[in-house]
Amino acid sequence: MTLTSPAEHVDTVVARPQPRRGVSFRDAGPPIALVVIFLAFSVLSDDFRTFTNVQNIMDTAAVLAVVTCGITFVLMMGSIDLSAPGLMGASAIAVALLVANNRNGNDLGLLGVLVAVAIAAALGCLSGLALVLLKVPSFMTTLGVSAVGLGLATLMFNGVQPNITDKMLASWAVERFLGFSYLTWIAVACILVGWLVQRYSRLGRYAYAIGGAEEVLSLSGIRVKPYKVAVFTMAGAFYGLAGVMVTSQLSAGLVQAGRGFDFQAITAAVVGGTLLTGGRGGVLHSTVGVLLVTVVINGLVQIGVSPYWQGGVQGLIVVVAVAAAVLPQRRRNQVVK
Amino acid sequence: MKFKSRPAVALVSLSLAAVALAGCSEEASGGGNDEAGGSGACKPADVKLVGQVRNESNPYEAAWLDGGDAFAESVDLSQERLTYDGDSTKQQEQVSQLLAGDTECLVMNILPNGDSDTPPIVEQAQEAGAYLVTQWNKPADLNVADYDHWVSHITYNGVESGKQIGDALSEAIGGSGGIIALQGILDTGAAKDRFAGLEESLAANTDVKLLDEQTANFSRQEALEVTKTLLTKHGDDVKGIWAANDDMALGALEALKQAGKEGEVAVVGIDAVPDALTAIEDGAMTATVSSDGPWQGGIGLAIGYCVATGELSMDDVAAEERAWYAEQFLIEKDNVAEYMEPKTDEADFACDNVFSRSQGAIS
Repeated sequence: MTLTSPAEHVDTVVARPQPRRGVSFRDAGPPIALVVIFLAFSVLSDDFRTFTNVQNIMDTAAVLAVVTCGITFVLMMGSIDLSAPGLMGASAIAVALLVANNRNGNDLGLLGVLVAVAIAAALGCLSGLALVLLKVPSFMTTLGVSAVGLGLATLMFNGVQPNITDKMLASWAVERFLGFSYLTWIAVACILVGWLVQRYSRLGRYAYAIGGAEEVLSLSGIRVKPYKVAVFTMAGAFYGLAGVMVTSQLSAGLVQAGRGFDFQAITAAVVGGTLLTGGRGGVLHSTVGVLLVTVVINGLVQIGVSPYWQGGVQGLIVVVAVAAAVLPQRRRNQVVK
Repeated sequence: MKFKSRPAVALVSLSLAAVALAGCSEEASGGGNDEAGGSGACKPADVKLVGQVRNESNPYEAAWLDGGDAFAESVDLSQERLTYDGDSTKQQEQVSQLLAGDTECLVMNILPNGDSDTPPIVEQAQEAGAYLVTQWNKPADLNVADYDHWVSHITYNGVESGKQIGDALSEAIGGSGGIIALQGILDTGAAKDRFAGLEESLAANTDVKLLDEQTANFSRQEALEVTKTLLTKHGDDVKGIWAANDDMALGALEALKQAGKEGEVAVVGIDAVPDALTAIEDGAMTATVSSDGPWQGGIGLAIGYCVATGELSMDDVAAEERAWYAEQFLIEKDNVAEYMEPKTDEADFACDNVFSRSQGAIS
């Protein structure tokens, strides 16, 4: 891109977050991979192509989709976020202790859910503040905040597993609307909200711009820091909700509720076409990535691949899918680091 | 650039200060490794008891440390509770710090993070002259008898427990039908042994068919998802679910609930976590196996304490008591009430009784 002036560049980015032509082809990679893999498994296994299994895939993808929604904004900025396990653990235990449960007399219902999400959002905010005020790389701040979250969760856990008896929260995982569990619809709502924020709000557009060219943005007099903190706070809220969803699924608050979700979400986002270098991709891209990863995991079980082979095969399919996805734009990637 | 490193410098200096303080709190008085045969002559009041597990956020390890406290109280001492968050590096650091202090009458009951974490702990304890009991993890070729301060290594026969719950599952489904197996982390000894136990049980119960085996990495969350997938794959053919630990069994129970099959499929696990015991009491789960966490927390300290005070001489500890399998208990509906409250029995910790639960040497 040649620039006449920095200001003009910002205008371009802010006004048209959807890049130019030729892009639609580039973005088509992951969805095509998803369709191909889905069809391949459908041919290989009768059990895979049933409606029950599609329901199952969607239910399974729900939590990862919400986590990925949050992490996508951070990745778009070119930062990284490893705080999901801690934040999810903290919110999982918090919500389990705030709604009707076997440990105490609380019965806050939906309010309890909101408080748990707020706790996670506050921790996310902490990551953001540490990043912009102390200038610690996001990799380290989020790792530290994750440990803080796990610490909080362990304190609240206090040796006895909180099991939820709250009817509302328990119904999220069990009750269905139009064939899909409430959790799946919550994930759909999150994706919609995420997409609207990304497409129409200043926060979303600036997240793109920060990832694309942060210096240019600050040179044009835009204060970047508040937006960074806001993005981490929003990501925290998404992780918090994901922690609540896991609690609903398991009917219990677990400190380990978010274990492994950080890397799964990053993988899903990258597979979907959200680049780690920032400035590319988005919520819808990442959602395709989530479905791709979930379909691969489910499909390998359905066609009966031995568990000893699965880890390796999963990784291989992900690498191939990513390679295929970036193939159309390889010419544009000057460096592969 | 200079600016950026300031927090790092602050952090480093803080941690240095912490290390220095921790080092000062105990005056170094030299290693006490001069007694013959490793037996000690510590006054009971001088013994320092330390229990170290991964974390207190799982009920089993929390109960383990509580058992250690119960023993410590019975000899008018207190136990230092250490946790290392399942982080091998952190475990080694904690052990090094401990051993940098006064080690003459130090008794450590340690749960090594993995097999490979045991050798450095053992070497350090031996050198410092502390009394060490390890549990669960050790490399097969590391011989306890080669070290006089590594008093004992206790573990459980995973093949046996896998078989016990396999048999209980076969019985619960009436001796015939399809089952699915949820394996643990595939490259751990516990997962391998427990599954080998299931295979032994299947060999004896020929009408029970293993429809599918998948790993859920000992995780409740993963077990939920894997079980849901397997239920859509095999449908009503699934009569029972064998899980290599209770967390996965509880995840499977949730999957059954979500599929509307609660109570129709028998579920078994291992570890006897509180939720599993409640599920067994309610009839939702069929069986689990207990290694008796509180006893594990107490017995390691008890053995070390007995040797440190000289009540038990290392010469009297038989070769087969250096590395041994401890007794484990199958819990079903009829005996679950006895295990609902974690408790220890002081009699188990008496110096002439500390090896009473031995099921033989580790072969």
